[in-house]
Amino acid sequence: MIKQPNVILGNDKILVTMGKKGEIFGFFYPRRDYAQHVEESLACLQIDNRLIWTNNHEWYSTQHYLEDTNIVITELIHGTGIKLNIQDFAHQTAPVMVRKYTISTERDINGTFFYYSNLCVGEMHKKNSAFCDSDVRLLAQYWQDNYIGIIATPSFEQWQVGKAMDTIWWTNARYDMEDGRLHNNKEDIGYLNTVVGWELKLKAGQSREIVIFIGAAPKRTQLYKMMLEIVHEPVANMLENSRQHWINRLSRKNIVKLSFLDDMPETKQQIIEAFNRCLLTLDLLNDPKHGSFVAAPEFDHDFEMCGGYGYCWNRDVAEVAIALLNAGYPEYCEKFFDWCRRTQLSDGSWFQRYWLDGNTAPSWGNFDNSTQIDETGATLHAIYIFYKSLKGLEKAEFLENMWITVLTGAEYLMKRTIYGLHDSCLDLWESYAGSFAYTSAAIFAGLKGAASLAKAYSEPGLASRWLERAEFVKNTTIEKMWLEEGYFAKCLADGKLDYTVDASIIGTFTPFNMLSPDDPKERKMIYSMIDYIVNRLSVKVNGYHGIKRYENDRYIEGNPWIVTTLWLSKAMLTLADSLRKEHDNEKDISKLLQSSLNYIKWALKGTTSTGMLPEQVDKHKGHPAWAIPLGWSCALMIDNILLLETFSEEKGNERI
Amino acid sequence: MFSRGDEKALVVWFSITYQTDIGAEANINSTFNEMGVKLKFAYLDNTEPDGKGKYVLFTEIKEENQIDAINKKLNSIQGVTEIDSGVSRNRMIQTIDFPLNFLGERAVIARSKTFVNILKIIRENVIQPDGLLLLSGLKGGRGAAKYVMSIIKVDKSNFMDILRELFLASGWGKLEMDFDRFTCNGKVIVRDSFIADAYGSSDLPVCGYMSGFIAGYMTEIMGYTFQVREVSCKSTGNTVCEHIVSPVPDDVKLEHIMKEEMR
Repeated sequence: MIKQPNVILGNDKILVTMGKKGEIFGFFYPRRDYAQHVEESLACLQIDNRLIWTNNHEWYSTQHYLEDTNIVITELIHGTGIKLNIQDFAHQTAPVMVRKYTISTERDINGTFFYYSNLCVGEMHKKNSAFCDSDVRLLAQYWQDNYIGIIATPSFEQWQVGKAMDTIWWTNARYDMEDGRLHNNKEDIGYLNTVVGWELKLKAGQSREIVIFIGAAPKRTQLYKMMLEIVHEPVANMLENSRQHWINRLSRKNIVKLSFLDDMPETKQQIIEAFNRCLLTLDLLNDPKHGSFVAAPEFDHDFEMCGGYGYCWNRDVAEVAIALLNAGYPEYCEKFFDWCRRTQLSDGSWFQRYWLDGNTAPSWGNFDNSTQIDETGATLHAIYIFYKSLKGLEKAEFLENMWITVLTGAEYLMKRTIYGLHDSCLDLWESYAGSFAYTSAAIFAGLKGAASLAKAYSEPGLASRWLERAEFVKNTTIEKMWLEEGYFAKCLADGKLDYTVDASIIGTFTPFNMLSPDDPKERKMIYSMIDYIVNRLSVKVNGYHGIKRYENDRYIEGNPWIVTTLWLSKAMLTLADSLRKEHDNEKDISKLLQSSLNYIKWALKGTTSTGMLPEQVDKHKGHPAWAIPLGWSCALMIDNILLLETFSEEKGNERI
Repeated sequence: MFSRGDEKALVVWFSITYQTDIGAEANINSTFNEMGVKLKFAYLDNTEPDGKGKYVLFTEIKEENQIDAINKKLNSIQGVTEIDSGVSRNRMIQTIDFPLNFLGERAVIARSKTFVNILKIIRENVIQPDGLLLLSGLKGGRGAAKYVMSIIKVDKSNFMDILRELFLASGWGKLEMDFDRFTCNGKVIVRDSFIADAYGSSDLPVCGYMSGFIAGYMTEIMGYTFQVREVSCKSTGNTVCEHIVSPVPDDVKLEHIMKEEMR
């Protein structure tokens, strides 16, 4: 079932996604992509002879992060005067989620507080087993080497291990909860649900705290040891440790002051918060062990409406890793390129997408004509950018480690571009087959980067060969796909040009620099593409304009995307930056800055209440739509903010 | 309504709202009799809010101008508060009461086949379909019981009769019961179960949804937990469907008992 989160949290071992009311949608352990152990996990009150589930419509909810952390505060207010405050965070070091509930009331209540879970440990409904150790009050559910445990302080007073979907319905934890008293069944097998409970007697004005710990471990003994230790740690210490951890992490970032926005303090504050949020979010999407990233936490596990997002795409991560590098975090690049070295296919290309551990993921790109050549180009391009950022011995070592990867990758690109325009393959949107300007630009940048690396590796012959091919790719793409109207065709397939305007054509300028703003003719082409994208792909939502992917896009309603919008604004800022080299461009620079700032504001209006940047914004309602949070959106937000910052570094604060 | 009567006659419907406490129903019927109007289909709903009832009927009339005369006569009956009427031009299907309501909730008319198609797809694609269908029925049975208890007094003496009427009214089947009111053990026999009839032949009983409905209904009304399981089914070659009813014993792994009995 598709459930789009409003917020995420985690540490280097777990990733948790949650809804607006603090209900857990996903609990990923030991990796960010696998396994997802939770179907449902939330609190429920039994009061006045009825169950009040905390995710039902009767609760008014607000949710936000504690500033500069991945600690989530959810507040629920019920019409009958009951309030729940939930502080959710991951333990600083252990694979444990801490859920601190504070229940307060404006009237006397006499009932039960339940914490209900429908777990599918190991992503399995079948063959799960659960038990409640009533001596230590630990409830655990397991499948093979995946154990999920629930323990609490104070200890739960009653429990039920029930059958979630069996004909013996009265053992089902959901039904067992109805009278406020549980059967205390200690163990069962199959498709299970479980609940633990506490008596809840409060006078008006009183409150009560219950802390629930949800932990994961590969073995029963490890689960016991970890949970029994953690339950005795003071929660306030855990919270403070978690807070410090995230603040320390952010303290390493390149500072952004955005002083040219001093006259717009609210906007400035929002953008700085977005910068921090994107950095914190990307850290949670990263697999610290393997170096890969999920595009977004998976929310469509059954591929009901799309192909899923909980995998690693080289295209996305090339953008993410470079954004993090520019923000002051080079370690992500280092690990990711090592991952690339290990995952490269024998022909020198990279697969459509991978599991985070490097195994090939479910794909519709298994053949030469269904692969996505741009991913190989983008990867080589990013490898070169990272290489450029290194110094001394580190730089030489990196090149030594990556050389074979670069060599085979570049040769793959050579093999697929014999006639200048690349062989038919799938586009970056994974929908169309043919040749594409974006893909050509990625190949151009990949070959050009590889050529520079070859030169550094004392392989001048290869360098000139690859450079020559890069220019050939560029010239052929312009010759065959540039339209006299003033933009690149979307696609060339079976000898026919598709005249649809596609926002990805701006990739020929940024990030791949196939077109240079320093060349007057190419600058004109860049301006023209920007105009076409603005005129043909703008969608007014939330008082500003967002950019959709291409004309007649039908994927998920054809909404405007954060990615394409921030990509356009990045292009505008990059163009504005290049104009600074010349005199008398103030008016143009100001105009570009103003437009890009409006696009950034639009993106900020499309976030969740917690600041998560989605893939899309609903064109009718203005809500965040589809994949939430999307790593690529975060990367582009970081790129935009870092570019904005370059305009603060100079005196000209009056540009906007 | 599918009319196959007099091809020349008009199919006419009346929807009459009345007060339930002054015997208006009887006078409405008498009026139709007096005017020689034969009812083709009618239903009476006395559960409208604020002491109102609704009488909906179809009939065939030779001349359109008769409708005004009937309306006038009905209007003169004490307690009748509102009359609506119309002619079904296509003589096929006419909906008067939209949206339909049943047991206090929005209702729809569905063919048994439609329900069974959904049921079969669940059986083919979902893990533990028997549990899922029983839980679905259970929810329906509990909801029905709650509604019934909200409008009439229900106790051990009449709850099975009400269930029988519910099954019949909704076209689910004809119930016969053999139930010990003291031990609360017994069986419910369903003749012409709509599920079994539409399902066709099967190796296993197919009316688990009904078992769930009966379990939910009885649990809600009796105040303790019932297990209901279908032990023989028309779809497996029996003449009727038989559901065994018993309270859930305490502290027993009933899963094992049930599966043993089924074998």
